[in-house]
Amino acid sequence: MTNVDSEDPATEVTGVAGTAAAAPVAEVPAPIRPDGLRRALPWAVGLLALAAGFGLQTQLYTGQERTVTTVFMFVGLAAAWNLLGGYTGYASFGQVGFFGLGGYATVVVMVHAHLSFWLALPVAAVVAGGFAALVGWPLLRLRGHYFAVATLGVAEGLREVMTNLPRLTGGGAGITIPTVGPEAPTRWLGNDGFYVLFLLLAAFVVATAGIVASTPAGYALRAIHQDEEAAAAMGINTTVAKTLVFAGSAALTGMIGAAYAFQQVTIYPERLFDVDITVLMVVMVVLGGSGTILGPVLGAIAVAYASEWLRQHFTAGHTFVLGALIILAVILLPQGFTNYVRDATKSRRFSLLENVRRYRL
Amino acid sequence: MSPPLLEARSLSRRFGGLLAVAGVDLELHPGRLLGLIGPNGAGKSTLINLLTGHTRPTAGRVLVDGRDMTGARPWRIAHAGVGRTFQIVKPFRGMTVADNVTVAVLFGPGRVRGNRRLGAARRTALDVLDRVGLAERADASPAELSVADARRLELAKALALRPRILLLDEVLAGLRPTEIEAALRLIDELRGAGLALLMVEHVVQAIAAVSDEVLVLHHGEALTRGPAAQVLADERVIEAYLGARYAAKNRSRS
Amino acid sequence: MTQLVQAGLYGLLQGCMLGLIAVGFSLVWGVMNVVNLAHGAFVVVGAYVAFELHDLFGLDPFLGSVPAALALFVFGYLTQRYMINLVVNAPIFITLLLTFGLQLLLVNGLILVFTADYRSVPTRYAADSLVLPGDVRLPLGRLIAALIAVGLTVALGYLMRRTRTGLAILATGMDRGAARLMGIRARHVYALTFGIAAALAGGAGAAVGAVSTFSPADAGRFTLFSFVAAVLGGLGNTSGALLGGLVLGLVEGIGGQLLPGTLVNALAFAVLVVVLAIRPQGIAGRAFYASRVEA
Repeated sequence: MTNVDSEDPATEVTGVAGTAAAAPVAEVPAPIRPDGLRRALPWAVGLLALAAGFGLQTQLYTGQERTVTTVFMFVGLAAAWNLLGGYTGYASFGQVGFFGLGGYATVVVMVHAHLSFWLALPVAAVVAGGFAALVGWPLLRLRGHYFAVATLGVAEGLREVMTNLPRLTGGGAGITIPTVGPEAPTRWLGNDGFYVLFLLLAAFVVATAGIVASTPAGYALRAIHQDEEAAAAMGINTTVAKTLVFAGSAALTGMIGAAYAFQQVTIYPERLFDVDITVLMVVMVVLGGSGTILGPVLGAIAVAYASEWLRQHFTAGHTFVLGALIILAVILLPQGFTNYVRDATKSRRFSLLENVRRYRL
Repeated sequence: MSPPLLEARSLSRRFGGLLAVAGVDLELHPGRLLGLIGPNGAGKSTLINLLTGHTRPTAGRVLVDGRDMTGARPWRIAHAGVGRTFQIVKPFRGMTVADNVTVAVLFGPGRVRGNRRLGAARRTALDVLDRVGLAERADASPAELSVADARRLELAKALALRPRILLLDEVLAGLRPTEIEAALRLIDELRGAGLALLMVEHVVQAIAAVSDEVLVLHHGEALTRGPAAQVLADERVIEAYLGARYAAKNRSRS
Repeated sequence: MTQLVQAGLYGLLQGCMLGLIAVGFSLVWGVMNVVNLAHGAFVVVGAYVAFELHDLFGLDPFLGSVPAALALFVFGYLTQRYMINLVVNAPIFITLLLTFGLQLLLVNGLILVFTADYRSVPTRYAADSLVLPGDVRLPLGRLIAALIAVGLTVALGYLMRRTRTGLAILATGMDRGAARLMGIRARHVYALTFGIAAALAGGAGAAVGAVSTFSPADAGRFTLFSFVAAVLGGLGNTSGALLGGLVLGLVEGIGGQLLPGTLVNALAFAVLVVVLAIRPQGIAGRAFYASRVEA
């Protein structure tokens, strides 16, 4: 018999199993909930990271602080995407739609209703999540490419709609949120303030993902990912599960969008619904390792930094180089860094060309 | 005989121009096993999909324990006590064997009885694995299992739902004779425990050995039904499986 | 009323070009299950090829569509053979990311070389119009482009159904394993398919250059329109994609008259989402490879 301790075994929040269908199947999947102390460890590490994040703030110049703030934003976005795309297997290419929706909800609350940003934040979550639940009803019936394309269509459509409601959103010319003086419902938080806000948001998203992954819900999501029909035959209400993840992921993304809108002060539909944001999210998760908690975090940090570094050193062609890097990374490391490390240490095979051989025609 | 746990009335399914299942009636009673045979393409798997909610019937009704479940989604039917195996096994490949079964324990009807906590669920899963003989492979990956063990896993996943009705879709295909015997013993135990069983099979001796009644499907229709020996000797059945020429030869020989 | 008819006809002509662009996209998706996010970029590259040839040699852009198509065929073949083939068996969003990276590469490469300015390839005749009864005008340039589009689609259909190469492509699309067992070199066939798709896009791009302005930023729009048209027509169904393009063009043309601003694009996406939700196999009937729809 295998070891089953009488305590409630816990999920390892970091490199868990069940990452299969997003990426190559691990050679031998680890049980989803290994026993013992390993349960507390990831949470301890997370708290440490959070503390480090706060501490780091005192060490940074303004410019660097802004960069790190952007990294935090992407950590949150990537982790939220991962819940839907990595765990449940529904790769949405329209995530930026919820980002923008949250941003514009903030606009409505702060500019038109003159209410505080702290009210706008939950409103953004509700609006984004509610919209997702609504469109999820037809969209979640689709799989694979169809789902990806449909969500992309929704995001693009949202952008067009927002561009064409100038009274509400300022249209293509943009709209400015009042952040100073008596007009402002909430004063601009300042670089320091936004650093903390995005750090907390990122921590919240990652923690939420960690909790979901370690509960029976996590089993359900993985099951849906690996075989939706079998999951349904085993009593999982796949419709409700998918809709909840879709809406939840959207709500989290919407909140981050709200914070971004407030931070940017003047926002345009082009910026807030930029398809590149979605793709960056996906790249981060894929490269970091989808279906894990640590993966999106590492991926976000790595890609965001790479992007910033490129922007500073190749001002003209940085996107070009980014494109090349994405291609290389996707060919050599499709399962993502965390999964690669885990598989390689187990099987002692470190060659990146393995991946190529595995997936090539 | 007690009232049927699962009943199909004039069940039909049309795919465009093809009538895959045509007006089939059947009843499953506790402690009895109904064998379902028929040549390939006769509609057996479609019938199971109709009974379990994976496919909506275009006509007819499905009743579970007297309640109309026609067109209900698969999870509702699972919660009503119907378990099934898939002809081509569908394990969750990224999870261990034990975790595969744990999913069923967590989300099947048994969960209201206190299996919501992962620890308890996992323990129950291990018990189920023990019952089907897979306890030693609890931490293995489904990809490593032999055909027989893969079938056992498939069965374990269905049993973890604590079903009162079990639909088996060609669980014996590809098994060696000793494995078939072991499987049949297990199925017999389940029948003895009071489950209502439906078994789709091609292995004729197996059907003959365990069925209380056999239903023959041909071109989507119920060709005939009755005790195994009688059905298997029926000319129409022979003709359906082996063709009209063989049937004629058989006739002229006897 | 005349305005609506005018808009409608204009939309149909535009739709033919969109259809041609979508045909290649649909073919690649249907045969290889690859969604090429860089498809629009191929179109723009074709436009620039025609632009440069006109600039250097005064070559008429419609004639320039031939070298554009050839250049893109080679590029497409090599890209598929030595890049996309490497991830064909990976989960779908890997190929999506790969082609997106390719798009970034191409679009930004074009910006680096040509800047983001809008260009067009002027011809003496393209702006002239054929005037029909009711004072409806058919711009000559677009008419030629539309005729080329229809002609190429028909030619492709012939290629697919009547030549060995075409049959090999179809077979590989339906069952790669079986095709290989029969001696078909799948790597080559895939590369060929992608090359053909790129060639069609490039040729269409040259025509685009002749009839309107273009810039690297248009790449994304072309790709998205290809999605819509391809889905409308059913994946892998080449004539369906042309039909989808026509419908899209019509919707855009008439919608542009009735709706404010760029809302008409939102309409296109709404159409896409609605079609995917109700009838994923497209309005033109069964997709060729309906059995290959992701399950």
